[in-house]
Amino acid sequence: MSRAPVNRRILLVDMDAFFASVEQAHHPHLKGQPVIVCGDPSRRGVVTAASYEARPSGVHAGMPLQEARRLCPNAHYVEGDPEKYVAISLALLNLYLSITPDVEPFSVDEAFLSLQGRHGTRAAALAIAADLKQRIRERFGLTASIGIGPNKLIAKMGAGLAKPDGLTDLDEQAFREVFWPLEAQSMWGVGPQLATRLHALGIATVSDLAHAPREALEAAFGIIGPQLREAAWGKDDTPLVPYHQGIEAKSMGHEVTLPEDCEEPAFLEGTLLRLSDQVGRRLRGEGYVGRTVAVKLRDHRFVTRIRQRVLPEFTADHRMIFDTVRALWREHWSGGPLRLLGVTVSSLAKVSGAGQTELFTPDTRAGRLREAMDRVRDKLGEASLVPAGTLTHRRRLGHVPFGPVSGRGRLRNPEP
Amino acid sequence: MTFESLSDPVDVLTAFVDGRIQPLRFRWQGRVVRVRRVTGEWNRREGSTLLRYFSIESHAADSYELCYDPRGPRWILSRAWGAKK
Repeated sequence: MSRAPVNRRILLVDMDAFFASVEQAHHPHLKGQPVIVCGDPSRRGVVTAASYEARPSGVHAGMPLQEARRLCPNAHYVEGDPEKYVAISLALLNLYLSITPDVEPFSVDEAFLSLQGRHGTRAAALAIAADLKQRIRERFGLTASIGIGPNKLIAKMGAGLAKPDGLTDLDEQAFREVFWPLEAQSMWGVGPQLATRLHALGIATVSDLAHAPREALEAAFGIIGPQLREAAWGKDDTPLVPYHQGIEAKSMGHEVTLPEDCEEPAFLEGTLLRLSDQVGRRLRGEGYVGRTVAVKLRDHRFVTRIRQRVLPEFTADHRMIFDTVRALWREHWSGGPLRLLGVTVSSLAKVSGAGQTELFTPDTRAGRLREAMDRVRDKLGEASLVPAGTLTHRRRLGHVPFGPVSGRGRLRNPEP
Repeated sequence: MTFESLSDPVDVLTAFVDGRIQPLRFRWQGRVVRVRRVTGEWNRREGSTLLRYFSIESHAADSYELCYDPRGPRWILSRAWGAKK
């Protein structure tokens, strides 16, 4: 006896120009105006987000601020507040969880929701999505674009079809009608490089990809070749990982664009120490240890080099991370001016239950000191204790967008 | 309109209604700013302290961000648009 098909629809809720829209909602005089969210607008850096009003000028996230100012001189340049955006993202997540327990946060401004049973019919999913858009607008003053589909792929690609403030519902058949005539690069996960390689095989459109010989794709791209072909048919069996089950991190890193190109070793080293400290603290806070340490160096010509080293043992200790990063930096830095520095730890393992404390804090003076420092920071905040080697660097940097020093530093009591 | 990032302690006339904090007016640089509406609210944790943030629009249509720090308790004006020093 065959079972009745289970009703199931996936929603992808994508907040429109999230960071810029939050600033417009919170500061009504910015509504309808081009808004560019960045680090400290008085220093250089990159565009973090651009409102829809700024986008026709060609401004987009990741663009150097200098170029954005040239393209869109009349925009409002607003210093971003990442902790505010995360807090609002969490409030949105709570709203989604009031609809279904099956919510997978995909990024700070996107989440998948799974609707099943009587809520999983097309009509019910559409009504729920429309109601959700309304509630987001009323409570947060923000708009969202929602894609609805039988799987995550169709929901995600559908959400991008009608932005901002869109609502798109596609089944597999409708997906093919909409996407097959489009360029292969319109597929989720196909970037410019992959698109170029597809082109070389004579695959220009999504339809070409759907009808390409499976063997040829496998020969060219390995295991992802046939997966791409399936995706072009609107097939996707990627499971939704609900929020309550947790998501394993693959890497943790921090990077910073320097206020000006710098070739001063002490300053660069101080920056690497601060970044290593932030990464180590985050690893310990989230219960991870890692084995691969990487340093990212971007020079004044925007040439980026990433160099990494595998450690003999797992660690969450900022000294061990910093020693590795410093060695890599000394080995690979040409001595020329640098624009950006980054530190990442990957090959992560979750540390849980018994032994966690021992792994993080071996019974050494350094381990006990780190444990004490963590306790002080847990109670008083990140800026309450910092490695001394970063102090000169902090005074000069003044502001680090998206680092823990910026916002917290401002809130400290100005009186001695 | 100009944007300023600040950390100015300010005196805020505050209402506590149904467990919620509501800034009503505050004094800044010798002027009284009356809150027309709260346009956004969010929290941030600093160590074990929960800081409460409010975006507000004044009756003069200026825009501000206020932070309530329960450790004082005290209020900090963290951002201002439109008002000149």
